[in-house]
Amino acid sequence: MARYEIRIIGFGGQGVITLSKMIITAASLYEGLAATQTEAYSAAARGGKCWAEVVVDLDQDQSQIDYPKALAPYDFSIVLSEEGASEMKKGDLKDEKNTGFLLWDTSTIKKFRTAKRVKALGIPIQKLALEKFGNSVFGNTILFGAFMKISNIFSEEAAIETIKKFVPESTLDTNLKAFEFGKQKGEKFLQTLMEAN
Amino acid sequence: MISNDEKRFLEPGKHLMMGNVAMSEGALSAGASFFGGYPITPSTEVIEHLSKRLPEVGGCCMQMEDELASINSVIGASLVGAKALTATSGPGFSLMAETISMAANLEIPFVFCDVQRNGPGNGYVTEPHHNDIGFVRFAGNGEFQVIALAPMNCQELFDLTITAFNFAETYRCPVFILSDAYLGHLHEVINIPPKEEILKRVIPRELPEDTSGRMFTYKDRVSGEYVTPKPPQMGTEYCPGLFIHQPHGPDGLPTPKPMEFIEAIIDKININKDKICLTDTYKIEDAEILIIAYGLPVRSSYRAVDIARKEGIKVGLFRLITIWPFHDEVVKEVVKNKKAIIVPELNYTGYIAEQVERVTDLKTPIIRVPKVCEFHHPNDILEKIKEVA
Repeated sequence: MARYEIRIIGFGGQGVITLSKMIITAASLYEGLAATQTEAYSAAARGGKCWAEVVVDLDQDQSQIDYPKALAPYDFSIVLSEEGASEMKKGDLKDEKNTGFLLWDTSTIKKFRTAKRVKALGIPIQKLALEKFGNSVFGNTILFGAFMKISNIFSEEAAIETIKKFVPESTLDTNLKAFEFGKQKGEKFLQTLMEAN
Repeated sequence: MISNDEKRFLEPGKHLMMGNVAMSEGALSAGASFFGGYPITPSTEVIEHLSKRLPEVGGCCMQMEDELASINSVIGASLVGAKALTATSGPGFSLMAETISMAANLEIPFVFCDVQRNGPGNGYVTEPHHNDIGFVRFAGNGEFQVIALAPMNCQELFDLTITAFNFAETYRCPVFILSDAYLGHLHEVINIPPKEEILKRVIPRELPEDTSGRMFTYKDRVSGEYVTPKPPQMGTEYCPGLFIHQPHGPDGLPTPKPMEFIEAIIDKININKDKICLTDTYKIEDAEILIIAYGLPVRSSYRAVDIARKEGIKVGLFRLITIWPFHDEVVKEVVKNKKAIIVPELNYTGYIAEQVERVTDLKTPIIRVPKVCEFHHPNDILEKIKEVA
């Protein structure tokens, strides 16, 4: 058993739930790992605070996640809203090598104190998606690319298969570009971490 | 009736889906062609999904004006030969109780998915709470026996829904699937078997073979066993007129013999407990301490057993997949000579703990681990194991 706990938090409509579904699809359907996903639903997923959790077992032999809820401290946290940022404490992330990452959106969050104290990558996702790719929906694929690279829990092939499954064919090219962009951001981040060590 | 068999079955192989959707797909695979319901959190995805899927296969999904109409439409559909189901949560379920008791008494088969949530209308409606366990058992006035199944993951929501429809066809009684707010919204990969394999498992709705008018369960005079004929269909020669106004007796004919009638509708299920009561065990061979669980807490229990075993504590798990009827004889056997029994339940009352107490030696301590709105972390159970070890 090697649980990998992921929590995504933002507000309704940002793509929090879609992103969590992309992560579990890549990890479970294409990488063959045991995984579970849960999400905020009903009124909670519309407008207000919205969250989603994914638990992946990195152990190939595990057939089921015994305890399907993600547990703090998390291995990976993605924060996309001010509310999510203000709630987060340093202890919410694992303080170990190669895990305990934070990915956040600097264009929607102005102040994020915890981000300074953990292994964090801030990208102006909404802004970049709009400027570079013409629509803020591509923000999700940027995040997905960065997540794939930093977490390293599923392969790039699995990630690309997932994108093909999730996005309409007419936007596939742009999505793949956005994914590549996110991936590079992730790569650079890992390099700076290595250099800092 | 299902006219488009092509679309009824999903492509065999792995699919990622939500619990509520897995349950709905299980119903389609079992051959369900009618859904009548009224949306309620956290069961809404069932009606959402079936409103797309049922028309594709030539079935019908109806959103009724309220819960009473929903369950009545389900009974109506079943009476004219459709495999039918509804899905709701606790508050909807209580509104449906009247018709459930009628259907049980008239031996009209149907499947009922209860996605349990906390509290009444103003409770924490998006949180899980196994608070309908007692209600399910006596869902309505009159005496009758129901069958209730408790899945623990999305795969089982699919598989056990097929089993539920089979039980409904065989024993002609309401069959409940006890899901909950957490399980219903959990996404997991499930494995869909090939069409041929599913069809082998499914008991289809067929017309009765007997045209003598014996429409209800009766005791065979020669063998002394209960015979449950196939459900009659209104409008066919097997079911002339409105039989539902007449009481009926153990000879299968509309004769007023209340005692024998009640015996028949309860015992037809009780004598088949060995076939109906599905259970599972985990490391119980040498166990001194036993956990008895159902539904989601089973998953935490597996973990707790593993951790405790590593520390040298001999603990095992007995899992109830079928909750009702409760198999007294089997549980009596597994709890024998145990140091302690731990019953983690997602409710405060301890509906199953009460049943376990009934069949356990008075000297054996039975420890309840109640949780409401959030299910047990393995450590919650482990703590109790260590206390009694």
